[in-house]
Amino acid sequence: MADTPALELHGITRRHPGVLALDHVDLTLQRGEVHALAGENGAGKSSLIKILCGADRANSGRMVLFGEAYEPHNPLAAMRAGIRVVHQELHMLDELSVAENLLFERLPRNRLGLLDRGALRRRAAELLAMVGLDDLDPSTRVATLGMAQRQLIEIAKALSGDSRIVIMDEPTATLTPRETDRLLQLIRQLRDRGVTVVFVSHHLQELFDVCDRVTVLRNGRKVDTRPIAGTTTDDLVRLMVGRDLAGPSTREAPVLDTTRPPALRVEGLRFRGQRGATPLSFNLRYGEIVGLAGLVGSGRTETVRALFGADRPVAGQVFRDGRAVRIDSPADALAEGICLLTENRKDEGLILDMPIRANVSLANLPAVSRSGLMQAGAEADAARRMVADLQIRLASVDQAVRELSGGNQQKVVLGKWLLREPKVLLLDEPTRGVDVGAKAEIHALLERMAARGLAVLVVSSDLRELMGLCDRMMVMSRGVITGEVPRAQFDEEAILAMAYQEYTRAAARETTTVQP
Amino acid sequence: MSNPSDALAAPSRTSLRHRTRAVLREAGIGVALVALVGVFAMLSPIFLTSTNITNIFTQISINVILAVGMTFVILIGGIDLSVGSVMAFCAVVAGTVLKLEGLATGPAIALALLASVAVGAVCGLANGAISAYWAIPSFIVTLGMLNIARGAALQWTQARSIYEFPDAFNDFGSATVLGLPAIFLVALALVAVGWFVLNRTVFGRLVYAIGNNEEAVRLAGHNVRAVKIAAFVICGAAVGVGAVIYMTRLTIASPISGIGFELNAIAAVIIGGTSLSGGRGSIVGTLLGACIIGVLANGLILIGMSDFLRQMVTGFVIILAVVLDVYRARLTRAAD
Repeated sequence: MADTPALELHGITRRHPGVLALDHVDLTLQRGEVHALAGENGAGKSSLIKILCGADRANSGRMVLFGEAYEPHNPLAAMRAGIRVVHQELHMLDELSVAENLLFERLPRNRLGLLDRGALRRRAAELLAMVGLDDLDPSTRVATLGMAQRQLIEIAKALSGDSRIVIMDEPTATLTPRETDRLLQLIRQLRDRGVTVVFVSHHLQELFDVCDRVTVLRNGRKVDTRPIAGTTTDDLVRLMVGRDLAGPSTREAPVLDTTRPPALRVEGLRFRGQRGATPLSFNLRYGEIVGLAGLVGSGRTETVRALFGADRPVAGQVFRDGRAVRIDSPADALAEGICLLTENRKDEGLILDMPIRANVSLANLPAVSRSGLMQAGAEADAARRMVADLQIRLASVDQAVRELSGGNQQKVVLGKWLLREPKVLLLDEPTRGVDVGAKAEIHALLERMAARGLAVLVVSSDLRELMGLCDRMMVMSRGVITGEVPRAQFDEEAILAMAYQEYTRAAARETTTVQP
Repeated sequence: MSNPSDALAAPSRTSLRHRTRAVLREAGIGVALVALVGVFAMLSPIFLTSTNITNIFTQISINVILAVGMTFVILIGGIDLSVGSVMAFCAVVAGTVLKLEGLATGPAIALALLASVAVGAVCGLANGAISAYWAIPSFIVTLGMLNIARGAALQWTQARSIYEFPDAFNDFGSATVLGLPAIFLVALALVAVGWFVLNRTVFGRLVYAIGNNEEAVRLAGHNVRAVKIAAFVICGAAVGVGAVIYMTRLTIASPISGIGFELNAIAAVIIGGTSLSGGRGSIVGTLLGACIIGVLANGLILIGMSDFLRQMVTGFVIILAVVLDVYRARLTRAAD
């Protein structure tokens, strides 16, 4: 009985439209082990965690929890079965006390069925002591606490029940080195009590500090599970990236006119909340496709949003064709020929319930109107032109965008910007949630547009995508550009190392300053 | 899915289908109205007489005018609770202008109308600007305006009504043109203008777009605040027109008139199929919604229902309309 693994996964598969998020993943978690999940952005870690904690269900495959079939229909069922997750984004009830948040799912009651305040306080204090927050008064309102304390409370909460498996998704992202140390210590204690811990972190060093075994995922498949002892950082990166490096690409280097000032020059850009010390500076020339690589949260999205005026930058100067320009709003950016395809097409790019023609014309209404009156014919013509150019598959331009597939929806967003005939096109995750066919079409389109002289800057978490598409790549790490790589020198491992660089360095620096 | 080139073949059959679907939405409300008329026609011999129909048109005119403006505000995802009070304020200002010494009747009426529309528009501007700049829900801002405007109307007149307007002015309220009440024709004209603005202008397009996805509109380079403020100004201006029309009916300008009118206007908009969360709905729907409320009020009196029960029935109809709307939204989602 004691040999039964804590959790076994057999052939777990999860299909999203056009994407195979998890492809027959087998995984065994032993009792009392700390098991790392590693992989690049989009490798399937989050999908797997969602299935483990009942937030999502697999299309096929089965799970066995302590020898019994495990099929959670919702997060509560998972919690009852003893699986708790400490999420990356915290969900707390700000206006309630620490104690109430900690024990929200099982508030102690007295014989009258009323809240037992004494017991609540007592149990909360015990839990807080476990995560080293002995000094914190359990009646403190959560709204008054900082991120790190909230994170620790979230962890304490995961310990409140009889959790047999605790999943920690990037728990150290907001913690200081000292707090991280305490957390790692806590994880070891949990392990010694026989609790299984699944640990996800971008900080590879932490995996080596605390984990027993590591499972690497890549493109939704399990690559390997191996003991952490005897594995090196290089091994791990190689497993995450895969040996089969991107195939030879056909894209030829564009001939750039270096006598002209660059289409876009950025000097000393700083955006709100930027962590790195060095502000950003770079050039973007007509006809080239430049990639902006890096981990999620490294500042890529903030950079392109600042350039577009979607969020106001804190400092910095932008030059268009060598002219200093001021971009305070999307309207300013559009006037300068700069367009941004945002990362979230449903919330920021499209008006789902309005027809395709209205979505395509939204950013270029003067072109389809005369003295304030809409010209229905001109609008439909413009929309049909874009539909043909972008090969959007639809029944009619009067159809609501909601009815289209993800790939075709994304093409509508692209059509909206291309109708403006931009000079500089910024794209944030242009092929996220897009099927393979549409992805290739979008890539081909961007190459065509670049050949016609458009300056393109692409943000993507899919390194292969950038390697296939771009002439040059800039790598961001923790708000800093850590490298710039020309196409001839594209190397997945080297780029990934640059993407992790500042995180590793920051962790190392802070650890040394903390130690006496 | 068809070949992309099919979409180039101008108005395809599916294109027609999509247009029809939008028209059917309004047709549903129309069918409800016709059914209601049919029921009352059977229950009361008086209901379908021309006198009674003229009565109904007269009774709903003010509400139609107010509801046209309200439609703009609700489409951008707002609400205007100040309509009734602002109307009283507009009326007493217009009444004062009408009574100015030394003005000929014609210019006096024109000036009164202008003053009324201006007062309404300024109140709308305040509502819109405050809620747009400080991102305060319009519910709160217009609740404040509801009190401010009512207080202003009472202060302006020292709580007295203004009356004895020129005959030409008072006669308009009971005049008929081609058998229809003149004031109803004014209301229909506003419906036509509202329809044109919402369906044919760039501004109308932005009103719908903002109601659906404000952030996408902002990122497309548009001035979202300006459009939102304009919607409130339009609502206020419509109130100004409504105030003068109401004066011609009552032949007085009273600082305590218009109490609760905002709720009737909101009810007409909602029953007319406009979504309270914005972005979906139409002026024609609003007209039909106002008709339903009017027919219900009139018909229930004719069959002898008490005031209190009538109020209850109207309440049920409002809730029913919203419930039906939820189901309709679910069905269209499910169809995708």
